[in-house]
Amino acid sequence: MTRILLVAAALAASAGSGCATAMNVGSHVREGLDITQYRTYDWGPADALPTGDPRLDANPFFQDHVQGAVEKQFAARGIARVTTGTPDVLVHYHASIDTRIDVNRTERAYLECQGAGCAGWTIEYEAGTLVLDIVDARTNSLIWRGWARESVEGVLGHDDRMAEQIRKAVGRIFERFPAR
Amino acid sequence: MLAIAALAGAAAGACAVRSVHANLEPGVNLSAYRAYDWAPVARRATGDPRLDNNTIVEQRIRQAVERELAPRGFERDASGAADLSVHYHVSVEERVDIANVEPLEPCESCRPFVYDAGTLVIDLVDARTGKLLWRGWSEGNVSGIIENQRWMEERIDDAVARILRQLPARR
Repeated sequence: MTRILLVAAALAASAGSGCATAMNVGSHVREGLDITQYRTYDWGPADALPTGDPRLDANPFFQDHVQGAVEKQFAARGIARVTTGTPDVLVHYHASIDTRIDVNRTERAYLECQGAGCAGWTIEYEAGTLVLDIVDARTNSLIWRGWARESVEGVLGHDDRMAEQIRKAVGRIFERFPAR
Repeated sequence: MLAIAALAGAAAGACAVRSVHANLEPGVNLSAYRAYDWAPVARRATGDPRLDNNTIVEQRIRQAVERELAPRGFERDASGAADLSVHYHVSVEERVDIANVEPLEPCESCRPFVYDAGTLVIDLVDARTGKLLWRGWSEGNVSGIIENQRWMEERIDDAVARILRQLPARR
């Protein structure tokens, strides 16, 4: 019985952390990258791609939060921003919002569940993706990309919630940054 | 009940099976082509911001294609004299599979199954006329793959190999 309860609890926990709430974080690194050769950065030219949402396009609050969070992460890693001369890397970011689908699975927590009620149903939610690109300034080639994607339901339009989510997302992205 | 769960799992996995297809334009003899080059990169949206303008992924695809084309008698020629132009395109689309098993027992697949379907298309185009000669593509479930670089690279290598295996044998 204890075991069944544990399984049920595990299922409930995994159902609770469905796509709508879990942050998808990942990164791609160029083959053979030696991060130690990069010591300075600057912001690259602004991203011209649309975000897929007018609430984020050219939104200075959003941009300030992202840039502030990224600058903190670089500082903590000893990579300094230079605004004169040529930096080692240029940093770009791209934010976008897509409608994604999640399956509500709460009913499945009960292993006894039978019939149509167990089928679950789909819900749509807005997912925001923040992609951070680090480009070798000399060769203009992408050396590292990190991203975080999470539901932004109830976040857009609330500056404090947005700031908190950006801070968390940028922190999770930089956890994957290659160690020096 | 365990057996049913296993079957249901297999059924859910069935939507994830990769499919590979290719079309050869009627009357085309690919053996008449030998030198190829990459077409200029077309910056098209992939449907997934993690893959848009992702030159790390693009590099991997090119390496895999070059590795698979060489033993089939195609040589890379970047001098501008190539008679074949190679294009590729990646796209990702979220899909919902509705349960394919009647929910008589508790099972995994009694619920809608949401996944990211990834497609890789490789086109061989006549470099002079711009006419599409051959198109091959592979489609499969890439949920949980893109965020793991090693898995993604393995998937790319595998998809490219499967696609180019569809090329007609050189005569």
